Amino acid sequence: MRSLRLFLIPTLLLLLALPVSRGRYNDDFDDGEDLADDNDFAEFEDMNDDPVAETETMPPPRVSFPSQVDDEEDEDEATVELEDGQDGFEDSETQDQDIFSKYDQEEFEGIGDMEKTIHSMKDPLIIHQVPAHLQNNWESYYMEILMVTGLLAYIMNYIIGKNKNSRLAHAWFNSHRELLESNFALVGDDGTSKEAVSTGKLNQENEHIYNLWCSGRVCCEGMLIQLKFLKRQDLLNVLARMMRPACDQVQIKVTLNDEDMDTFVFAVGTKKAMARLQKEMQDLSEFCGDKPKSGAKYGLPDSLAILSEMGEVTDGVMDNKMVHYITNHADKIESIHFSDQFSGPKIMQEEGQPLKLPETKKTLLFTFNVPGMGNTSPKDMDTLLPLMNMVIYSIDKVKKLRLNREGKQKADRNRARVEENFLKQTHAQRQEAAQTRREEKKRAEKERIMNEEDPERQRRLEEAAQRREQKKIEKKQMKMKQIKVKAM
Amino acid sequence: MCFSNLLRLYKPPSTETNPTLEDPTPDYMNLLGMIFSMCGLMLKLKWCAWIAVYCSFISFANSRSSEDTKQMMSSFMLSISAVVMSYLQNPQPMSPPW
Repeated sequence: MRSLRLFLIPTLLLLLALPVSRGRYNDDFDDGEDLADDNDFAEFEDMNDDPVAETETMPPPRVSFPSQVDDEEDEDEATVELEDGQDGFEDSETQDQDIFSKYDQEEFEGIGDMEKTIHSMKDPLIIHQVPAHLQNNWESYYMEILMVTGLLAYIMNYIIGKNKNSRLAHAWFNSHRELLESNFALVGDDGTSKEAVSTGKLNQENEHIYNLWCSGRVCCEGMLIQLKFLKRQDLLNVLARMMRPACDQVQIKVTLNDEDMDTFVFAVGTKKAMARLQKEMQDLSEFCGDKPKSGAKYGLPDSLAILSEMGEVTDGVMDNKMVHYITNHADKIESIHFSDQFSGPKIMQEEGQPLKLPETKKTLLFTFNVPGMGNTSPKDMDTLLPLMNMVIYSIDKVKKLRLNREGKQKADRNRARVEENFLKQTHAQRQEAAQTRREEKKRAEKERIMNEEDPERQRRLEEAAQRREQKKIEKKQMKMKQIKVKAM
Repeated sequence: MCFSNLLRLYKPPSTETNPTLEDPTPDYMNLLGMIFSMCGLMLKLKWCAWIAVYCSFISFANSRSSEDTKQMMSSFMLSISAVVMSYLQNPQPMSPPW
């Protein structure tokens, strides 16, 4: 068997020598090298009838066989060349070129083509990536996982924030309940029931706003307390507050009856709050035109400022007890606003001024900051109790505070001045409105006359309308004459 | 005694006279959520649909208790459907913009 093999090899080589010269390397036959590597004579074992195919398959083994022999040599050479910093792949290419140069050009034709085919064999295979959704790989969905995690975090924050706000509100109410129930007959009303029955609990408007309505006390109509907490339930707001700290607020609005308060406008609070209120509030901008004065003059801390209609009002309001309250709790006071002309913030109308003066109400407004600057605990709510005492004291004080004669006159003059200014500004608009009203009336009358079926009645109505017109014209003419006579 | 027999019932303040006092966040977020949902559905953009879900959550968190829950639920359902439809049409994972 061994000798047979030795005989076969040279014969095969001789046979191959002829086809090599006119052989064409088939590009589609990619695994020619693999086959040759496994079994040089695999093609001969699976002999096809087509001799051309055989001859075509000849070249690869022919090429690889010597390259195999040379591989061992190449490896040694390759390592050497690698040390020189060359790529092994390039080495095999150069080796191939060397192999071909060894072959006698006279004996072998088409070696150059084979070079090309060898090179094309060595083109890199492009392996396309399997689309991610077909892979059994959760890692490719990392963006979706991030999104869902974000949503879960938002929901967790919502639950935690909502509970915290609720706890703070109930802590406030528990600490103030006794004081309120001793001062007001009705504590807690949600506005739905027709009977005046105390609900005895806070009215939740939002996840961060709680209301409480108290009524049934002398000297006032009612008191609305709004607990305006931070939006702890909204994660975006929580993140925004990390940049810009803010604090929870308690806003108290006491509405008074007409006889419970004299005519004056007064405000005290932090300098920033005073500047803002003077710009925003209708009554403060009209009646307290001067810049806010420092509270130091009246024994208050320097951080507080006063806006007042007149000096007498400030002296009347800022008695010892009030000064004591404010000084002790200056850090918690944002603003205190007493006004008999309160109508809310200035309304920005698109079509110039409103035609009527806004409705005013005698009001006391208090805005308190809860200590803790956002990191409030339920215990901090107890520190607001003295401020509620101050509110009750203020209600009684304002009832007793009466301006002297001069002050009253000055206040009345101020109010008249404001009203006059308002009427002047809106004069043109009111005239227009009156004109349109008159035209509407005429049109309505004409329509009535036209719709009248009875012709006799129609005629009579027309005559009556004409007579009225005539009278009006005569009146106007008389007036004009009178004015002329007076002028002369 | 400081009690009075004259009791005034609570009247919720009218928001028509003071529109500035009302917080517009839930309304804006609701609208934004709907716009993003429609963009996500029509243009088959997954990130639009996800942002719509976030907007509807934010709107819900900031909403008033007096507000209609139907509108909130409809906005929420629309955003969820936008996400689901985007993934049904194109199951590939979302690619980050960077």
